[in-house]
Amino acid sequence: MTAGRFSRQSFLGKDSQLQIARCTIGIPGLGGGGSHTVQQFAHIGFKRYVLYDGDVTEDSNLNRLIGAESRDARAQTPKLHLAKMMILGLQPDAIIRGYACKWQDNPEPLRECQIVVGAIDEYRGRRELEIACRRYLMHYIDIGMDVHGEERPVIGGQVILTSPGAPCMTCMGFLTEEKLGAEAARYGNAGARPQVVWPNGVLASTAVGFAVELVTGWMRTARPYAYMVYNGNDATLMPSKTLKGLERHVCRHFSVEDLGDPVVMAL
Amino acid sequence: MNVAIKMTGRLYDEIRQDLERPHPFAFERVGFVFGKIGTASDAGWLVLLTRYHAIPDDHYIDDPTVGARIGPDAMTWAMQAVYHGRPAREGIFHIHMHACPGETGMSRTDAREMPPMIPGFQSVGRDAAHGIIIMSLDHGSGWVRLPGSKDLQSCSSMSVIGTPVGVFDRTGERS
Amino acid sequence: MDYPEPQVEELKRYCRKLGAVQEGGVTFYSLEGLCLPAGCDPPVCDALLCPTSRDQYPSRLFLSVKVKSPYDRNWNRENARIGEKNWFAFSWKVEGANLTLAQILTGHLLGFTKPK
Repeated sequence: MTAGRFSRQSFLGKDSQLQIARCTIGIPGLGGGGSHTVQQFAHIGFKRYVLYDGDVTEDSNLNRLIGAESRDARAQTPKLHLAKMMILGLQPDAIIRGYACKWQDNPEPLRECQIVVGAIDEYRGRRELEIACRRYLMHYIDIGMDVHGEERPVIGGQVILTSPGAPCMTCMGFLTEEKLGAEAARYGNAGARPQVVWPNGVLASTAVGFAVELVTGWMRTARPYAYMVYNGNDATLMPSKTLKGLERHVCRHFSVEDLGDPVVMAL
Repeated sequence: MNVAIKMTGRLYDEIRQDLERPHPFAFERVGFVFGKIGTASDAGWLVLLTRYHAIPDDHYIDDPTVGARIGPDAMTWAMQAVYHGRPAREGIFHIHMHACPGETGMSRTDAREMPPMIPGFQSVGRDAAHGIIIMSLDHGSGWVRLPGSKDLQSCSSMSVIGTPVGVFDRTGERS
Repeated sequence: MDYPEPQVEELKRYCRKLGAVQEGGVTFYSLEGLCLPAGCDPPVCDALLCPTSRDQYPSRLFLSVKVKSPYDRNWNRENARIGEKNWFAFSWKVEGANLTLAQILTGHLLGFTKPK
């Protein structure tokens, strides 16, 4: 590890590069949001990755898929391959475990991560990923963007950090039965969601910042949870109002009983 | 086959705070920490630590030849905890601390005294993992006996999922 | 929510082995070898019964496979990950106040054989 490359981030702490190099990051989904985070993690010096994505590059991805070029759409280059090349181009000694499938189809490698960054489209997917992160003790950083309204489009999004023992996405008011129910009712009719590169960039960068803070502790403050709301029209990223009063909140949705492989109690 | 241990930052702090307290006569403190298992990749395992039990002062035996010795009350408590943890497949780990930096391993006394405890725990809690954890000032090492196994396997790493995250890889290079 | 023991015992009539698994603050009843109504393929499969409100359904029955049944159903949950396994569920509401566990289960099983 050359001293020069990371000299501009030495403020992260004297052992920060060692800490960063030892941490395993899981990224289930290497699309618009995930590809941004991969690039940044590689630049910062992360060397251990567990990646999932079974999709190939298509023309409609090129407006936002970091690392993809026109020829990748023609060649239908797997997104997993693009991510690996980005990482190895900056960290040739990186250890990358990549799976061309959904994480649910091969969940065991993800459990070995310390931090998972999810850019998942659906609320139920987020719930499932958060449950896995609580079961197998991982910090979970969620990013997502959406565009709603036809007459005057509004770009919205969020970056959420949730950690074992801290308020979960339900405690923070992000996951609700209403949202999950509405999504279930729309199943099969979701259509292609609007996605553009610059909000993905804002959200992914914030997520990576959270991850670096978790690994290095450079800010010297403990932040085990966060919920930042993005307004792309106003170009703002603000803490959610739903966080008010959560400082002493005890999450009742997960407990130590939920740790490890599920145990079916015979009745 | 890899075995890795994980715990929350809160549990790590609780354990450290207790183990670092002075004892009226023992040179060091010991405790019990509980854990549940999870399957990992390539037939590997995770041990996810759940809760800590601080051994009461009066459950120690005054033995100046060793760092700490726990008495029958402590062992009885531990066995009962393993028994009650059976439905949840929760196992038990003897834990103590070496007051030095870096990766640490079992001392001669540790290697003589601690492994013999484990078969007894396993006979009561057959479906759980049991073992030994030794912390240092900035690292941690573990040895685990998995369900159905007769061997104490060395853990490849220990992670503290806290703020900040800690990752203690086992390199075999003792401090 | 805790259900009275007689209700839990009654569920055993419908499956080979009954259990409970907790996840995310929700209790699911695990029914290994649940017997499905005539005309279903397969005739037996594993299931998870969630007797409490979920995804804005009053209750849900998740199956270990996507079952072929006499009537086409809207399988709006595919590969739902619960208890570290993947499950399938079709859109079906079982409504009624103070239903027993068995009534909830049979209400869902009716979904296989009742035209909408």
